[in-house]
Amino acid sequence: MGDFLQYVELDSFLHRLDPRTKFVFFIIMSVLTSFVKSGVALLFLFLVFLAIWLIGRIGNYMLVLLNKVKVLLLFIFLLWLVLGAFTINEGPTIYRTAFSVIGNHYVFSLEWVDFYKGAVYALRIFLMISAFYTVILTTNFSQIILGLQSWRVPYAAAFGVGLVFQIIPMIVQEFATIMEAQKSRGLEVDKCSAFAKMKNYVIVSLPLLFRVLSKGHAISLAMHYYKLNFKVKRTSYKMIKATYSDALFASVTLVASVVTIILQINYYIQI
Amino acid sequence: MSFKIDNISYKYSADTPQILKNINMEIREAEVTAIVGPSGCGKSTLVSILSGVIPTLMNKGELSGSFQAGEEVIISVVSQTPENQLFGYGVEDALAFGVENMGLASGEIHERVESVLDLLHIQHLRKRAVSTLSGGQRQAVCIASVLAMRPDLVIMDEPVSSLDPQGKHLIQSVLNQLRSAGQTTVIIDNNLDWFSEIVDHVVGIDSGEVVFDGSRDEFFAEFDIQQRLGVIIPQEVEIYRELSRKVEELQPFSTLDEAYDALHGRLSGSETAVALNSSEEQAENVLEVTDLSKSFQDGFQALKHIDAGFSKGKIISILGQNGSGKTTLVKHLNGLYQPTEGAVTYQGAETKGKSVAEISRDVILVFQHPEHMLFEENVYRELTFCARAQGVSFSEEEALAVLEKYDLLKNKDELPVNLSMGKKHLLTILSVLFSSAEVIILDEPTLGMDLHLRNHLEGIIRHLKEKGKTVILISHEIPLVFKLSDELLVLDHAEKLKEGSVQQLADDEALFENIHIDLPPVVQLSKKLGIAPLACDVQSFTDAVAESLKIGGARNG
Repeated sequence: MGDFLQYVELDSFLHRLDPRTKFVFFIIMSVLTSFVKSGVALLFLFLVFLAIWLIGRIGNYMLVLLNKVKVLLLFIFLLWLVLGAFTINEGPTIYRTAFSVIGNHYVFSLEWVDFYKGAVYALRIFLMISAFYTVILTTNFSQIILGLQSWRVPYAAAFGVGLVFQIIPMIVQEFATIMEAQKSRGLEVDKCSAFAKMKNYVIVSLPLLFRVLSKGHAISLAMHYYKLNFKVKRTSYKMIKATYSDALFASVTLVASVVTIILQINYYIQI
Repeated sequence: MSFKIDNISYKYSADTPQILKNINMEIREAEVTAIVGPSGCGKSTLVSILSGVIPTLMNKGELSGSFQAGEEVIISVVSQTPENQLFGYGVEDALAFGVENMGLASGEIHERVESVLDLLHIQHLRKRAVSTLSGGQRQAVCIASVLAMRPDLVIMDEPVSSLDPQGKHLIQSVLNQLRSAGQTTVIIDNNLDWFSEIVDHVVGIDSGEVVFDGSRDEFFAEFDIQQRLGVIIPQEVEIYRELSRKVEELQPFSTLDEAYDALHGRLSGSETAVALNSSEEQAENVLEVTDLSKSFQDGFQALKHIDAGFSKGKIISILGQNGSGKTTLVKHLNGLYQPTEGAVTYQGAETKGKSVAEISRDVILVFQHPEHMLFEENVYRELTFCARAQGVSFSEEEALAVLEKYDLLKNKDELPVNLSMGKKHLLTILSVLFSSAEVIILDEPTLGMDLHLRNHLEGIIRHLKEKGKTVILISHEIPLVFKLSDELLVLDHAEKLKEGSVQQLADDEALFENIHIDLPPVVQLSKKLGIAPLACDVQSFTDAVAESLKIGGARNG
């Protein structure tokens, strides 16, 4: 949990890449996964991702991500499965029946393609999330700011994005500590009904709100102490420079994208 | 350069009371000035004015008087929570942040970053991520990041309040470097103990007014002012203060060596015959841990085979540097953590399988930061939260009497988060008085407390002990630990080094050297003077010395 949603300090090929290269990877993969609906193409893309994670030594962290989003993925799979079951598709049928509810007639037709559809949509969502997560795990917020600045994103916006990634782990940690503190003084959140649990989680959100406001205040004071003025031109201590590795990674991204598009065209099944 | 503050008055809005009243003072060049005063006296408001937060960011108040700081003057602040102040993932990023904002050329930025790394001797930290630094290292980086901007004045607001003894030592050495380099510095802290050797000038503020302005030695001689302002002074000065009331013609002292020089001649030849209260009697263990080990998911082993017992009706302190396993151990005691190996038993029964809330009826843990705990809409409800959560009956009269005793009655309808840090902390501790728990664990209970609140805290801890409750204390305030505790449990690098009575362990100098914790001055002085049994607090020490002098005096004539 401690490492979830935050940069992981490692010295890997992925970590050493120019942040801009990783931004490009994220953008391309986001676009690809938005329109690719071929199971074969997505499976190929998943294998490419897998190779990247293993080379970048972040495989374990992606398993943690998978564990966190498994309920969401299951929900997406079941949603498309159920929606598909109320549509009659071509191909082998597993079970088909007609029934009526309050005078309306329905056909329940479960086909293998419904499972395929559920799996495709779940995989697309997972690849979308993991493309973003791959960048977050391997790019710290200072690099994110530098990368955005080099793309001429105004410093106020770049700093804001960086700050979000700096603060998220703090808020996650604060929430965990507040939960522990409240349990320690007698607030029951383990052995109680789902409703009571939900109510107690809402109670905990109040100190979290105060802590976040107090952190926000402290950060704005610190910005003043460091004379941060978005109207004044800043200079930079560190520079980022693309290397041979970036060219290699960009080439892999490009080739993988082309292959994915080809697979999408050749192996697309109407769903 | 020096800074002159002329007749500054301030209130946050037209219909609120005056926070600062005609403040006149000077911050002298190349000196370390301490601004002291009780909680709520206006210190933080003064920092906001000096740093320009008022009126730049907060412009709704009424400010009068003058503070001469031109546009070109740089005044920087180091806050008590560096994690809220450091911008940048790595140490180098954080150090460069302020200088980058100034728009300096790249070469100049590099030169300044190098110079602060050298000045504060923190070159070894430069490639580290800020999140991996210890509290002391983080604060040192924070000070360095501010110094890189070459400020004319650095203001430090309670810079060591949440640091362990090693962190405090690091910041002390950093401050020594600054003083040698001629940096004009202001330290806002009511605990003068840790920086008394560095400070040149003391300004005392009470109820928004300057009530003391003088040198450190002058301040140490003003006992009434120290008490009025609730300033925590070095224990050596406290010893002199208390002893001078009992012993005539005592030569003033403020260091250990001076104290020894002033006392050893007068004590030689006499024996310290006072039998100090040493509570050696064996009491039954109410809580026990057996062969307790804890490994986290990432493989980090936080505790290794700990065996310890916590006796009924005793005050037991857990000592060790940050990372030694203190907090991990107490989180096992109240069920927040489950052991990887071993067991925790309360009154002979394993706590395994119980929820934390269930265990809290027997073992309650008060967290370090009160803001993690407070969420009720008023102080009264917050005070009685534990009782209501645990189904313990209480009367309104009882609750109001507690609020009155601890000066919180006037705040009873206020939102708890609006109280001062010290009062917030006091309130969370007071709420356990209404709990059914027999074991109360306090994690750094002195955070944000001035001397007045600390006296209240001592009273609460003693009251709990009198009621037969067991109090487990984690605190980096070593003199307080020795003053209050019956027993100590010493941890280092996840292992138990020793446990025993305070008297027993105080004799073991090697143990404290091993964990890099200095014994309190009163214990060190007792040893040097041959006082036996060792005095662990100022009262016992002065009683022993006064008695010894009386006996010596009677023999001589």
